[in-house]
This record gives sequence, structure tokens and C-alpha cells, in this order.
Amino acid sequence: MRGSGESVTITVEGAPVVVTAGLSLAAALLEAGHAVLRPSPRSGAPRGAFCLMGACQECAILVNGAVERACLVPVRAGMEVRLAGAHEG
Amino acid sequence: MRPDLAVLGAGPAGATAALVAAGHGLSVVLIDENGAAGGQVWRAPAPHLDGGGEARQGGALRAALAASPVVHRARATAWMIAREGEAWRVDLVREGRAETVTARGLVIATGAHERIIPFPGWTLPGVIGLAGATVLLKANGVLPGRRSVVAGAGPLLYLVAAALLKAGGTVAAVVDLAARRDWLAALPALAARPDLLRQGLLWRARLAASAVPVLARHAIAAAEGEKRLAAVLVAPVDAKGRLRPGAAARRIEADSLAVGHGLVPETAATRLLRLPHRYDAARGGWCAVRDVSLAAPAPALWLAGEVGGIGGAAVAELEGRMAGLAAAQALGAASTPAAAALASVVVALARARRAGAAMAAMMRPREGMVDDIAPGTIICRCEDVTRAELDAAIAAGARTLDQLKQWTRCGMGPCQGRMCGEAAGALLAAAVGGRERAGQWTGRPPLRPVAADALVGDFDYADIPIPAPAPP
Amino acid sequence: MSAEFDCAVVGAGVMGASVALPLARAGMRVVVFDRGPICREASGVNAGTLTMQMTRAALIPYALKAWELWMDAPRWLGLGVGTERRDGLSVAFTEAEVAILEARAAARRAAGAPIVLIDGAEARRIEPGLTDRALRAGHCPVDGFASAYLTGRAFRLALAASGATLREATPVLGAERSGGMFRLRLDGGGTVMARRLVLAGGVWLEEMAGWFGIALPIKVLVNQLAVTERMPPVMRSVLGIASGLLSLKQYPNGTVLIGGGWQGRGGRHDGRGDGFVPEALLGNIRLAVFVMPALRRARIVRAWLGLEAETEDALPLLGPLPGVADAWIIGSVHSGYTSGPFMGQLLADAILGRAPALPLFPPERLLARKDAA
Repeated sequence: MRGSGESVTITVEGAPVVVTAGLSLAAALLEAGHAVLRPSPRSGAPRGAFCLMGACQECAILVNGAVERACLVPVRAGMEVRLAGAHEG
Repeated sequence: MRPDLAVLGAGPAGATAALVAAGHGLSVVLIDENGAAGGQVWRAPAPHLDGGGEARQGGALRAALAASPVVHRARATAWMIAREGEAWRVDLVREGRAETVTARGLVIATGAHERIIPFPGWTLPGVIGLAGATVLLKANGVLPGRRSVVAGAGPLLYLVAAALLKAGGTVAAVVDLAARRDWLAALPALAARPDLLRQGLLWRARLAASAVPVLARHAIAAAEGEKRLAAVLVAPVDAKGRLRPGAAARRIEADSLAVGHGLVPETAATRLLRLPHRYDAARGGWCAVRDVSLAAPAPALWLAGEVGGIGGAAVAELEGRMAGLAAAQALGAASTPAAAALASVVVALARARRAGAAMAAMMRPREGMVDDIAPGTIICRCEDVTRAELDAAIAAGARTLDQLKQWTRCGMGPCQGRMCGEAAGALLAAAVGGRERAGQWTGRPPLRPVAADALVGDFDYADIPIPAPAPP
Repeated sequence: MSAEFDCAVVGAGVMGASVALPLARAGMRVVVFDRGPICREASGVNAGTLTMQMTRAALIPYALKAWELWMDAPRWLGLGVGTERRDGLSVAFTEAEVAILEARAAARRAAGAPIVLIDGAEARRIEPGLTDRALRAGHCPVDGFASAYLTGRAFRLALAASGATLREATPVLGAERSGGMFRLRLDGGGTVMARRLVLAGGVWLEEMAGWFGIALPIKVLVNQLAVTERMPPVMRSVLGIASGLLSLKQYPNGTVLIGGGWQGRGGRHDGRGDGFVPEALLGNIRLAVFVMPALRRARIVRAWLGLEAETEDALPLLGPLPGVADAWIIGSVHSGYTSGPFMGQLLADAILGRAPALPLFPPERLLARKDAA
């Protein structure tokens, strides 16, 4: 199912990651093996994308310094992603 | 922007309403968070994929939209709606900047989100919603994992399992709350939709061909794993969704679990406007009330699609058509809709609603669904509030959802109660005499979390209209 | 006929609950009514600021005593309400604001609040995230906050333990003197007899005073507040500004509460005031971001309205109901949450025949009797 899509390179926690163009950031991270997106603010437990449609906020991570829902953000070349939530700045 | 009509939500209902209204000469602004119209069920496939039937329907809609004069504000998050004089004002954030749309009429078509009843381990990475799984597969072409379990209730179960197989994934099991006879009971209502029936049979055939075990009358007892899902515990349940005492659980290895227990109308906007809602378990729970022409009890306001009760894509599209016609009529469009147009929609809707109702009923919340949730299970994901904490607050006297929220912080996180509301309501229901009496979260702005940066923009201190201070 | 209760309190906000609790603990049979859940109105939705800098000078002695009570809540209330002690800063950005700041600080200092004026650099030493546009600030070490939404649960438990009867979801339609007692008429048809009556209905005190033909106009302030999602630690003080129209604090859970009295639309007849005004939220957040630039990165998760009562002279109603034996009134205190527990204690002392520690605020001063028809 991995089609003949183009690739873009993003940065995840400082490391370059090649992902399929046209994917949402959440889907791209999952495809690249990043199922854990951030720790839960109160318990610190690992969390990942859940509803994939912008409702649950589990995928709200730092993208280019701002909190974004990864499931709604399309990957763009040079995007800087931190696997950290709003409470981690 | 000051159009005749603003439409909130670009799924089958909203996008169709926008097209129909524009077709009759109204100026229309269509607002949606996603990049392309189609909502969930008609979501645009990733560029490198070819989609199936639903993608074709969505494709026709998107093409029509592109060719129309509708102003489509995509990737726009509406955060506030208010009546301003004789108009509706919608405040939104788009590309990090604040915008306002002030329209003479408003269609709210905000669709639905998924209901997932918590179980131990449901917060592990690797556990996603059924609808979420379709987004990964159809819109992104990404498998949720190497080996998946698909669980819950309703037709989405089989859609997801079949889509996983088609994408080259492994489905370790389908875990269905329903029994075979529940499905058979729905057949008569589906007679009007042979396409849906055929679709369902195809899905089941595909599962059978791949020897995927289908466990009827079973549920997820727990999800297990360290940093990510590793296995799922599955156990038999009764018709009310309660685990059978003494029945052994089966462990199935899986790194992905797609689970969903139906759809719930997305009512943040209608609650914000203090519109009336009625509780209808067969239509997804709390539904926004509208009259036969889909008008809400407020001037120039129509409610189309799932927000008024779960009915499926066909119903949503027809309701969008009806709302578009009603708006064109009420707002004095250049080309008045023919009475026959509206009449034919009414007829088609009556037919479509029957099949939609049958599917919605398959997804209705089951009475015993929260009974067996272990005390240490997280109910509110955002704030890590457990069932034990909610039970303690109820025992201490919390009797409304808002009171429960105040005493435990359940619902105070960024999802604004969307993920925990169903379970919290069901837990409260036992103490207050029913789900209806437990009520709903009071609607408050913002409709979604909104970045302060986008709201404030660039400004200087002198720009801030500071009101007169309190007395010294 | 005998009275079921020694005292009936109408309104289970922080005022009503703070009167009822000491009365019940002193052995009175007390009933507290509220048309909704306990502490659900202003008392449950206010910003929880426990500050001297936004408290009226005349109320400083009361606020100081109440601050001690709030900080010590677990001891006398049972459950805490998440109180935290913090430094308070009230900031001025223009010379005109510095003048306001100096006048306000002087008045409050004269009333006993330990407020000291400091320069911008010193203010930033206390609060590193403060904008460098701050010229001067009033600094008060007696400051802090509570989580207002925990108040209902705490008082509920305490009232139950004290033997008081709490009747939520029970609107009181009216009250009148009857045979040396009070007859309260309840929604749904019931009546309750009590020897004494305390009106503690917040913004609805105007209607309640009207039961006895007393005209006490109450102005309703419709205060908007907003809260962020959990953020990293960005501030460690309670911030306000010289004009008083900002209140900012960060809770231990990382959320930042933004308030200050920006007005929405509505009034007591709309219930909780559903007229949210987007421009007011934008102005409030702009001010917050100006004062604490790190907040620019925050996401606002929830905004709401709360109704606050204000008398014609913006001073409390606290004392006997004029011309009605054994009836009392408490409320409309301005920053009432801050001084609530102490105000309640004062009135309870007066009702028990003890000398209150500080003067009450008798409503006579505001009085205009309704004309008899």
C-alpha cells in the first residue's frame, strides 16, 4: 500500500526522518515507527494518536515551536517536530 | 467576510448545503478544519492512493465545490459563534491568524465523533478509534500496525477489518459486541439499501477468505503493553455489554487495536448556542433538535447531518440538500428553489433514514458498558482522571456532569470532554436515574483549543481597550 | 407550630456556606437552600485570586483575615481548595498608571496590607517572565490563589459533618414572617419553618430583599474568564495591573487562569449570563500576553462567565435585614470569594450574639423602601 508517493524530510527530536509526502504528520510519524508522541501531563504515561480526526488532542505536539494537532497537519519539508506536548514547552 | 450564508463543517451535509445554497445564488463561506471537504466518511484519499466508492462520492463533492463560487475556508478552526444584531458571527483561526465571518444565515453541520468506552490500557499508543483507523488507511495509506485487532460495535468494525486486509495488514481478530442475530434483525431496514448490504457481505467474505476469527458477543477486557500496545485481552459479554462472570479471557498478540462503540453527535456548537437537545440512544445520544425543515429554534439557523442524530452519509447529504434549499428560500436567493425540489428531498430522506436508523441502532450504547470498568482505569485521558475518582465524587454528592467536572477535573482538558463525556455520563446516570438526567457538558467557548498567538496577533499596549477599573 | 430549624440560609455560595458552618457547629439546627448545586455560581467559577491588591481598601482588614483562613482551609474546612501562597504584583506601564498604583497601594497599606512599591527590575527579579515594559509594581507577599471549583465539594463535606442540612436543587420562592418565625416557600410546593433567616443569594439578593419590601438595587457584573491547557512553568507570582483589569496566575498543574473583570453580556435573569463577548476575551488575552509574553504560546481551552454582585456604594451587605427581626443579609462583597470565610464568621458571631471581631456593613445605609402600593 506504500504507493509511489514523493518523500519529504522532516526533523523529529533533532534527527532527520524521511516520510511520504501528502500524509498527515501523525500518520507519517506512525509509519516511521513513532507510535509514542508525548507523555501524558499528569501521569507521564506514553501517549500516541488516538482519534485521528482532531478531537482527542492526544497528538497535540510541538511543530515548529507551536502546539499543533499532528493528525490535521500535513507534513512539509523541514518541519521540526518535538515528541513533547504543550506542558513541556 | 460577510456572506449570505456560513456553513460550519464540510462533510457530506455541510458541503452539500453550501453547494445547493450557492447554486441558488447565495454567497456562501464553508468552514472546516480539514484540508479538503468530505468530512470523515468521504475523506479525500492521499494523493498516491486510489480510493474506493466513498472516495468517489467525496471526489464528486470536492470537484463540485472547486467549480462553485463557494468560498471554502479549509484548515480553519471556528472557536466562537454568536448572534450579532441580525447576523451570525463566527470567529475562526486559520493559518495562525484570526478571522471573522458574519453571515445572515448559518448552517451547523459539525458531524460526529467516535464513542469509545474505556477499558484498562486504552490509553496505550497503538490503540486508536475505528474511524481513526479509516483515516490512517484511506486518507494516508498507512497501516496502524503489523498485527491488528478490530473491536467494538457497528458496521465500521467490518469496514475497518476489510480495509486493513486490503492494505496488506494482518487482522488477528474481529471482536464484535453484537451477536449474529443482532445483525440479522437489522436486515429488513437495510432492504432499501442493497448497496450497503452488498458492501457488508463483501467485507465479511474478505474476512472469511483470510480466515480472520470473528468473535461475536465479545469485548476488550484490557489492552496490555509497556510503551506501546503488545497484546489484547478479549472476553465474552452479555447482550448488555457486561463481561460474563467467570468466563476466561483470551490473550491475542497485537500491536494495534482499532476500537469504537458507535458515533456521537458533535454538539459543541449547538450547546454553545444553548439550543435544545434531546436524548435518543438509538441516534447516538444527545442530538440537537431541529424541525422538519432542519431549522433550529433561532433565526436563520439550520442543523444538518449527524449533529441532529446519527444517520449515516446518505442521510447527511440529503439533509445538507434540504438545509441548502431552506437557506436559499429564507435568505431570498436570486433563484428560488422549486417546491418540487424540496419535496423530492423529503421523500428521499424518509427512505434513507430507515437504513440509517438501523445502522445507528447497531452502534447504540449498551446499558452495561461502563459497569465492568476497573476502578483504576483512566476515564478522562487529558487529565488522567480514573473511574475511582469519578465514583468518589459521585459518592460525595456530584449530581450533574458539570459538578462532576468541577470536583474531579474530568472534562477540563483540551479535548473538552469529547473523549470522556460518554463514560462520565454513563457513570453518573446510575446515581441520578438515567443518562438523560445526567445531562450534557455546558457549552462554552472556544469550540476547540485556540492558540493565544493566533487570537492576539500583533498589537501594542495602546491598542488594548482597557475598560474602566473597579472602584478603589 | 414549632420551627424545624433555628436558621435557614438561602444561597449555598461561599457566603451562605460560611455563615451556616459556624452556626451548625455552635449547635444550631441549620438548613441551607440553593436552587442549584452548592457553590455553583460566582463561588465556583471565579478566578480564585486571594489578593489584597484588587480588594477595596475598606475591605483589606477582612481580606487579610480571610486569607489566613483560606491558607489554613484543611484545618477548619476539612478539605482544602488547592490554596497556594504566592507573591502578588500589580504592575504599571505608564506614568499615569504609576500614579494610580501609588494611590491604590497607599490606601491599602494604610488599611494594613503589606504592599511595597518596587521598580521594574525588582519586579522581574520576583517574576522573571514579566515584560520589560513594566515601570513599577506594587508587591505584596500576602497573595495567592485557590481553585474555586473545589469549593463546593469542600463545603458540602463540612456542612454534612457539622449536622447542617443542605438542600440543593431547591429554589426558595419567597419567605415571610409567620407567627414569630419565618415560613419559606419552596419550589414544588413545600414550606419550611425557621426561627432565623439569612439571605445569601449573591446577585439575587435584590429579589430576596424584595420579599420583605426592601429595595436594595444590586448591579450585576458579568465577568469573563479563560484558562489555558497545562503549560510549562512560566510564572510564579499572581499578576495584576494598576487599573485592576487583569488577573493572571499559574496553577501547580500548569494551567494559567486569565481574568480581571472584562465584561460579557447578560444578567441574573439569563441565569449564568450566556452573553460571551469575543472582543472582551481578545482584549483580556492581549493584556495577558503583553504582561507575560510567554503566554503567547498558550492554547486557550475554556472560557466562561460568572456573575458578581455590587451594591450602589460597592461595599458589602453584611448585617441585619432592616426592619425584619431575626433576618440577616450577607453578600455583594466585591472580591467576595477572597473574604468570604471571614465575612461568614462575622455574621455567624453576630447571629450567635457574640461581638463580631470587625464592624459589619449594615444595609441601612443603602436603603430606599419600596412604596407601599
